[in-house]
Amino acid sequence: MLDNNRYDRLLQESVKHELRVLNSQLPTSQKSLDVLLKEEIPFVTLRDGERHIFKKKELKYLSEITDSSLWNNLLLPVIIEINPGEDEYSVVCRGEVEEKVFSAILGMPVTRRHHRIVIYKPQLTVIRKILKTTTQYLFSPKILP
Amino acid sequence: MTQQRTRRLTKIELIRMRKRLTLASKIRRILKDRLSILVMEFLSIARETIEAKQTMLDDFSGAYRSLSITAGYHGYLALGKELAGAERELEIVSGSRNIAGARVPVLEMKDSGKKDGYSQTDTSAYLDRTSQLAEKCLNAIVTLAELQTTMEILGKEINRTKRIVNALEYKVIPNLEETIRFLTMKFEERDREEKARLKRVKVILERKEANA
Repeated sequence: MLDNNRYDRLLQESVKHELRVLNSQLPTSQKSLDVLLKEEIPFVTLRDGERHIFKKKELKYLSEITDSSLWNNLLLPVIIEINPGEDEYSVVCRGEVEEKVFSAILGMPVTRRHHRIVIYKPQLTVIRKILKTTTQYLFSPKILP
Repeated sequence: MTQQRTRRLTKIELIRMRKRLTLASKIRRILKDRLSILVMEFLSIARETIEAKQTMLDDFSGAYRSLSITAGYHGYLALGKELAGAERELEIVSGSRNIAGARVPVLEMKDSGKKDGYSQTDTSAYLDRTSQLAEKCLNAIVTLAELQTTMEILGKEINRTKRIVNALEYKVIPNLEETIRFLTMKFEERDREEKARLKRVKVILERKEANA
């Protein structure tokens, strides 16, 4: 039987570990589409120091569905925020490019609310199927202790 | 019950237990979200794997059919001679990506830009077609390799996460709730005892006052 302090420490460590695991996938910085298109092997560095490789096929697809003047504004990977216990997810966006991209992929207009595009689980599946490497999950800080 | 017996009946212990329960619930919530994402990705990858497998089989069957036509047109010896010097280096870009904490591989065939090594003048369009189909087959193999590895890794991660979620949901959290209930009950009991004792003291004091 673990004593009190060890048990508490164990729980705290497991929270820390889970958060470390979840946050490790976040990029240290995002790169714009035009920069990535010029790179031979497009990548961004993640928080854990690893490289996240983008598929050229996906970048090419994104360049086809967006106007070349907007490439500079499309920052990749696009962050998809997961809200705890909800079936509603949101895409963090700064401009209108993301809205255009997601509308084009889903084939329908999307709702934009406070710099966030609201998407639902079935839509998320469609987006992730097409943009596997160019989107990334962010577990909402609301669930952090 | 063993856990309850070893607990000290103090308010500090109750506060500690409540803190522990909040912490455990938070971990469970994080893990449940992660699990739902992992399962969603796994199902999507599984569907894609089935499609990729079928595509690969179709590509191979087309490529073999085209190869046999080419061999029939040129003859095995002439075809062998042409293709002997037609070796090409293939480059595959390999890296990784992260799905909710699970690191999975990314494989992509790189277009070397080199032309086919055989003579274009001495060969027919059949060979060009066969070469294109063979390249398509290689692409399909790379795609399938990536998908299958991803599926395996995700499966293992789902199992691991599910075990932790189950342990929290069916063991850790119920135990903590039980202990909190036990401690709360004991404190309530102590309060009731205290009230009864005070009432008794009050009665005794009143009786003494009446006698005096």
